[in-house]
Amino acid sequence: MISILTTYWPDFVEGLKYTLSASILALIGSLIIGLIFALFVINPLKPLRVIGHVYIEIFRNIPLLVVAMFFYIVMPQFIPHLDGFTAGTIGLIIYTSAFIAETIRAGIESVDLGQMEAARSNGMTYLQAMRYIVLPQALKIVIPPLGNQFVNLVKNSSVLAFLAGFDLMYQGNLIASTTFKTTDTYLAVGLLYLILTMPLSYFMRYLEKRWSQGTAE
Amino acid sequence: MKLNRSKIRPLLLLGLMVTLLTVLSGCGDNLAQQDVMARVKRTNHITWGVKNDTRLFGLMNIKTGEIEGFDVDIATAISQEIFGKDVDVKFVPVTSNTRLPLLKNGNIDALAATMTITPERKKEIMFSDTYFNAGQAIMVKKGSKIKSVKDLTSGTKVLGLQGSNSVANIKKYAPDAKVLQLADTAQAFTALKSGQGDAMTSDNGILYGLNRDDPNYQVVGGTFTNEPYGIGMNKGQEKFAKAVNQALKKIEADGTYQKIVDKWFSKVAGFDGSVIK
Amino acid sequence: MSMIEFHSVDKYYGKFHALKDINLTIERGEIISIIGPSGSGKSTLLRTINGLERISSGKLIVDNFDLADSKTNMNKIRKNVGMVFQHFNLYANKTVLENITLGPIKVLKKSKAEAEADANKLLSLVGLTDQAAKLPSMLSGGQKQRIAIARSLAMKPKAILFDEPTSALDPEVIGDVLEVMRKVAKQGMTMIVVTHEMGFAREVGNRVIFMADGQIREDSHQPQEFFAHPQDSRAKEFLGKIIHNS
Repeated sequence: MISILTTYWPDFVEGLKYTLSASILALIGSLIIGLIFALFVINPLKPLRVIGHVYIEIFRNIPLLVVAMFFYIVMPQFIPHLDGFTAGTIGLIIYTSAFIAETIRAGIESVDLGQMEAARSNGMTYLQAMRYIVLPQALKIVIPPLGNQFVNLVKNSSVLAFLAGFDLMYQGNLIASTTFKTTDTYLAVGLLYLILTMPLSYFMRYLEKRWSQGTAE
Repeated sequence: MKLNRSKIRPLLLLGLMVTLLTVLSGCGDNLAQQDVMARVKRTNHITWGVKNDTRLFGLMNIKTGEIEGFDVDIATAISQEIFGKDVDVKFVPVTSNTRLPLLKNGNIDALAATMTITPERKKEIMFSDTYFNAGQAIMVKKGSKIKSVKDLTSGTKVLGLQGSNSVANIKKYAPDAKVLQLADTAQAFTALKSGQGDAMTSDNGILYGLNRDDPNYQVVGGTFTNEPYGIGMNKGQEKFAKAVNQALKKIEADGTYQKIVDKWFSKVAGFDGSVIK
Repeated sequence: MSMIEFHSVDKYYGKFHALKDINLTIERGEIISIIGPSGSGKSTLLRTINGLERISSGKLIVDNFDLADSKTNMNKIRKNVGMVFQHFNLYANKTVLENITLGPIKVLKKSKAEAEADANKLLSLVGLTDQAAKLPSMLSGGQKQRIAIARSLAMKPKAILFDEPTSALDPEVIGDVLEVMRKVAKQGMTMIVVTHEMGFAREVGNRVIFMADGQIREDSHQPQEFFAHPQDSRAKEFLGKIIHNS
């Protein structure tokens, strides 16, 4: 396994770069989109609620590969130059955002309704109340499950391999098929994923500890 | 003290995993070493790896659930020649990427899966004599500016199959083109259709098969390599390999081989008869 | 122009008739106690005034805004009508000082310095100057409620609604909160207080409303007189129990 790692190190680094960029882009993207749809679902206007629920239910219940394939195969008819990396990252964002929306929704709903009422009675608009009072409290509750989503996201980025997205898994496939050392290659790939995900897990746990020191009322 | 320990723990965990993985990677494969001749004679079962997404060579017939094609018929003919008419021939679908691991792990006894005989592969497995002479070509959408492999200049994208010999070749013949590798033939063709690449490269026989599905695409520029297909077997199976080569000679001599060739390739327009052995 | 006017207001939760034909006019500077058995609609009535509950029919005018009109901007009403809750509802993620300054800064667009100067005055009014930097979770119930009142006052509202402000408090700290409410009353604030504190209703309030089953049963501008000689049969029964229990 070590010899595979050293011989093909540049390829693994290339793969790590793509995996890392896809993960970071998808992490930011899915957090923003997930937050928007979480707000859709809990807001008082029914049409927005319906849109939010439909979005979440659809993308939560379709395999990631199908979503990613859709962007790789179908969307280029409408958007030219949508390559495998972009299509895969968009797929990742949309798929993950559905789970994040669900997570954030649960977090928001676990914040005492009185907080929203107090903020509204204080003259704040709905969005101000969300931004300054409810969301900061929800975020604290949501950090551990959000951490799980992020780790899943990094692992799920291996979907890029199916779309020739140059990621770690893709490079692994190519190395395995040229060297025929399948077991060693995939073990090395697994190890590299661990190196990406373990620090992320520990970082989220650190955040969780630090944030929980500001206790709730 | 406590702080130190919590910092060391993740490292320890990582080290443990590396050790575990290294040990795992050393595990060997025993099934592949059993003598195929003896086992098939005993059990009357033989398992072949074939493509199931490649028209003309190995394609799943959705109505019957059977895999059909040139490779499948050749494998059946060889098996029956060696082990008798009543031998039970099983087919397992493989891709360019999975075929060698499956063979080496002993999941299958032999491969008839559009596989070119190459020196690199010979290091890993054994090949029979050539049973089909293919050549690599490219396929493009009708009306494309790309007329041959020479037109694959920088800025163009070529779709190929992971683990196929054609991907290695295209890097030599069109070094400036970007090569995107997909998992199987069907996916690569779908990617071509949705504009993910300017051309697709594979062996001519495979491309002609795709061409029959969708006449909007055409094979251009002829073949630029020779791709002799061989039956793949595990190293150490000398007895089996010898029997396969004898069987190949036998079915050529008695006309069975020609019948199979005619069945699959006589109606393929544009297919150059000379590439067939 | 009156501060608040209810004209034939009804409120339903599904089939439940929570408020029945409410007609009520509240003038500026009035200190009104709303009393009655639980489930009588007191809190619902209070919450309609700043739009936390929508009315089902009738007309409700608050500070010249028509609350039944969907075009009315509720935020403008809430800016002028504060609310103090039974369970305080201090912002759990903000310090005591931030709890008081957030509204003035974000809603009234005051500068941070100005808002903090005001907040410090209010903190000394409620007697909690030394708690400014703490998080709400570190305060006692009585302290929380005094901060909640300060938070309301910081918006310089035209009226403050109190929804059972002492019900969740330990008996020994109720006095501190009532003391603060008395100070606010002296400043001439319009106060509408849903309460079980009959002492406050009798001594500080200048009007008592008795509710039962979603209706206003008695409306008295002489609290002393009301407590001595209630007219309504349900009010008599209610007061009898309260006095008996205390």
